[in-house]
Amino acid sequence: MSDQHQHHSHHILSNSMAWRVFGALIFLTVVTVAIAQVDLGVLNFAVAMLVASVKASLVCMFFMGLKYDHKENTVIFSTSLIFMAIFMILTFGDLLTRGDVYVKDMKKIIPDGAVAASTKSKFEKAWVSNPELVTAGKELFAAQCVSCHGAGGGGDGVAAAGLNPKPRNFKAGDGWKAGRKPSQIYNTLTKGLNQMPAFGTLPPDDRWALAHYVRTLGPHESEKDGAEDLKKIGIDPTKADGGGSGEKSIPVDLAIDQITQGK
Amino acid sequence: MAQATGSVPHHERHHAHHFKTGMEEFEACKQGMWIFLVTEVLFFAGMFMAYAVLRVFYPQMMKDVHQLLNWKMGALNTVILISSSLSMALAVSAAQRGEREKIVRNLWITLLFAGGFLVVKYFEYSHKIHEAILPGKLYAYQELSVAKAPLFFSVYFVMTGIHGLHVIIGMGVIYWLIRRASRNEFGPNYFTPVEMTGLYWHFVDLVWIYLFPLLYLVS
Repeated sequence: MSDQHQHHSHHILSNSMAWRVFGALIFLTVVTVAIAQVDLGVLNFAVAMLVASVKASLVCMFFMGLKYDHKENTVIFSTSLIFMAIFMILTFGDLLTRGDVYVKDMKKIIPDGAVAASTKSKFEKAWVSNPELVTAGKELFAAQCVSCHGAGGGGDGVAAAGLNPKPRNFKAGDGWKAGRKPSQIYNTLTKGLNQMPAFGTLPPDDRWALAHYVRTLGPHESEKDGAEDLKKIGIDPTKADGGGSGEKSIPVDLAIDQITQGK
Repeated sequence: MAQATGSVPHHERHHAHHFKTGMEEFEACKQGMWIFLVTEVLFFAGMFMAYAVLRVFYPQMMKDVHQLLNWKMGALNTVILISSSLSMALAVSAAQRGEREKIVRNLWITLLFAGGFLVVKYFEYSHKIHEAILPGKLYAYQELSVAKAPLFFSVYFVMTGIHGLHVIIGMGVIYWLIRRASRNEFGPNYFTPVEMTGLYWHFVDLVWIYLFPLLYLVS
């Protein structure tokens, strides 16, 4: 093996180039931190990932030498990104499109009473508002809803910037396409609407709590549920538990929660 | 070009018999290293996936909870790791040129930065352990009780922990290189271990480049 051959084949990264790459990486780190202080809505995440990827490319090309190396090493490394993309696409394809699990099937896995407890209401007639439900709803709202609907429920949350149509403004009485009676809001929570995802993962009590809470944010008192409205979502208002033995099916995530907690 | 000192002068080293040339051996080694790094990406991909799921399902929780991390510590560690990547790159090119003292010096600097990274991480971890900002059932931080917050810290500790383990392993390998470089084993004809360790070390930096904004700067 001649020295001559070696010198022809290896690119030696010059010290000045190494320092310049280092300077660029430090500069981009400052950019990352600076941008995080400015609120750009959904763009923040995109920009942060873009800058990180530019940094990663610099490290790969210069420090790891892919720029001067055989192309096959670049191809090899790139396959990892392709497989990572496949992994993410398939996983989210599953997670975001899951249907429901029948409660009768759940009962084969965990005790009968446990399933009923998770789907049945703690409250008598949860479709009728009470202070306890409103308080619970307020807490849930802060955790689940403010990113889009805003802290005050004005439809002006941080994530609202990227949404069209805009999230519902709970303070206003108009524009409620799916209605603003408790049963109608409950139904919207269960099934989702436009870009709002379904919140069927929340137990029925939580969905009622949210429905009752958002109704306190605006002039919605006059919009009341009749027996007909409740029947539409499968509730018999003459009975304390709504007439059913809980719901017939529950979302996969709730089912997993129930099973893993071994209730 | 060979250094005059050292027990095993690098130019006397012979490549393995199943390779035609030392060059071929080096290229095969490097390709193997890249394939190993592919498996490393896939290994971390599982954890990044867990992170992505949390972000999609509980965006508000992620925003509330990441404030418990000190982004200044994260930024400091980013600068430390980038600096260690620079010294590692300088060590590799010194090895290619056969400059023994520069190899050893730059490897020591890299080792020092790696130690610094772990010291910062130690302060972060011990603060969190003290405040009971921990994964799963161990989470008992009173100031902030957001639903699913313990999930974030499961992801945080597993990701930074596995990354930290990579740093520790890297430190061991770098120390081994320092020993060998001191014995003058590396030069223009043979620097494979330095180059391979360099690739590994830069990969550890790559992972952190993504971890820093994802964990510390959620907004």
